[in-house]
Amino acid sequence: MGEHTVASFDEDLGQISRLIRDMGDLAGSMVGGATKALLNSDNALAQRVVSDDAIMDARQRELDDRAITLIAKRQPMADDLRHVVGSIRMAGDLERIGDLAKNIAKRVGTVGLSVTPRDLSHSIDAMAQLVLIQVQGVIEEYTARDAAALAKLRADDERIDVKYTSVFRELLTYMMEDPRNITACTHLLFCAKNLERIGDHVTNIAENAYYVLTGTQLPANRPKQDETAMSAPAA
Amino acid sequence: MSQMLSPDMTIAAEAIAGKAKIEVKNLNFYYGQSKALKDITLSLPERSVTAFIGPSGCGKSTLLRVFNRIYELYPKQTAEGQVLLDGQNVLDRSQDLNLLRTKIGMVFQKPTPFPMSIYENIAFGVRLYEKISKSEMDGRVEQALKRAALWTEVKDKLNASGLSLSGGQQQRLCIARTVAVKPEVILLDEPASALDPLSTAKIEELIDELQADYTIVIVTHNMQQAARVSKQTAFMYLGELVEFDRTEKIFTSPREKRTQDYITGRFG
Repeated sequence: MGEHTVASFDEDLGQISRLIRDMGDLAGSMVGGATKALLNSDNALAQRVVSDDAIMDARQRELDDRAITLIAKRQPMADDLRHVVGSIRMAGDLERIGDLAKNIAKRVGTVGLSVTPRDLSHSIDAMAQLVLIQVQGVIEEYTARDAAALAKLRADDERIDVKYTSVFRELLTYMMEDPRNITACTHLLFCAKNLERIGDHVTNIAENAYYVLTGTQLPANRPKQDETAMSAPAA
Repeated sequence: MSQMLSPDMTIAAEAIAGKAKIEVKNLNFYYGQSKALKDITLSLPERSVTAFIGPSGCGKSTLLRVFNRIYELYPKQTAEGQVLLDGQNVLDRSQDLNLLRTKIGMVFQKPTPFPMSIYENIAFGVRLYEKISKSEMDGRVEQALKRAALWTEVKDKLNASGLSLSGGQQQRLCIARTVAVKPEVILLDEPASALDPLSTAKIEELIDELQADYTIVIVTHNMQQAARVSKQTAFMYLGELVEFDRTEKIFTSPREKRTQDYITGRFG
C-alpha cells in the first residue's frame, strides 16, 4: 500500500495498527498464561493475567480514542475507512478475549483447592493449545495481510468446537464417576466454555480482518455444530 | 448498455440502476491538438445524482461542458463521439443549441447572478423562451425560489439586486434561475466550493430534493460531498474514465487501485 500525501495520516493509521498488534500479543499471553496457571495451579501467574486485563482495557480505550480522532480529522475512505472501523471492532473482540482469559485465571484458586486439576484437565490442555494457536495466528495473518489464511483460520474454529464437545463429555463422565469432582469439574467446564468463546471472538476478528483487507465479506454461515446441546444445555 | 463499454474500464453497468438520461459513447475531446477526454463511455440514469471526481485536469469539468456544448463558445475545442440525451445526439450539428441549453441547465463554481434584481434574475431566462403574463411570471419566480429554498429569505426584497445577497444565497439564486426554465438535466460544476459549511449544507439538501425531478451531474473536489449527495460516482484521471460504480462501492471498496489511491489521498 502506497503512502499518503499527508505523512501524518500514515502515522495515525500506523499507531492504530500497532495497538491492534499489541492487544493481539497481550491476548495471546493472557490466554496462554491463564491456561498454564489453571493446569499448574499457579496462583501468581493467574494474578498476573488478572492484572493484565486492566492493560488490555486501557489499550482498547486508547485505540477507540485514536480511531474516533482519526475519523474526525481525516475522514478516511475505502481501505483506510475499513481499516479504522475494522480496528475498532477487532479491538472489541480482543478486549473480550482478555475478559474471558481473566475469568479463567480467577477460577485457578477455586479449582486448585478442591482437587488436583491435572488429572481432569488433559483435554482442556489440548483445547487451550488449539485456541492459543488461533489467537496468535489471527493477528499474525492480519499483519501479513494474508486474506486466504484468515478465511482458513476462521474455518478452523470448528476444531475448537469439536474439542469443546469432547471436553464437555469427559468432564461429565468425571462428575458422574465421583460427585466430589463436581465443583472442580464445573469450574473447568466454565473454563472450557470460555476457551470456546475465545475461539468465537477469534472468528469475529478473522472475519473483520478479511473485510478490512479485501472489501468483501466472508459468507455468513460457517458450518457450526454444538453437539453438547444434544445432551445438555451449553454453559 | 454494457455492450458499448470498453474492456479496459471498470464500469459496474449492472450496478447502475435506472433508465439512462444521458448516454456518452466513445467520446473524445480536444483542446486544439491536446486530447482532454479519451474514449469516454458511460450512462447517467435519469432522476438521480451522478458525481464526477478526479484531480485537477482530469477532464471532469470538460465532460460536463460537453453535455450542453458550452465549449463551443471557445475556438479550437472539438468533440467526437456521441452524447445522447434521451437517445438524441446533442453533438449533432442540427441540434438547436438554445433548446439544448433549456433542457440542460448549468451552475458554476462562482455564483454568477446577473447585475439586476432578484426577480429579474429569474424572469430574464424565462422570458427568452416563453411569453407569459405578469401574474404567471410572478408564480414562476416564486416557485423557482421555493424550489431553490431561497423564497423565505428573499420574498420581501425581490427588487433588491441579486448581487446584494450572500455567496450561498447567490448560488441558490443561480440554481433557482436554472430551475425556472424547467430543464431536464442540471449540471453543477463545483457548486459549493466557495461556500461556508451552512450554505454548503443548504445546497446539498437542495440537490437531494431536486433529484426527484431532475437528472443531476455534479463535479466536485470534495470527496465527502460526492459521497453524501450522489448515487453513482465516476472517477476520472488524465482524460480517462477509470471507474464508474455505485457511490457506496466507490468510497468503501473501489475496484481500481488508481481510484483507491485518489480517494484515500495517496496520489502522486
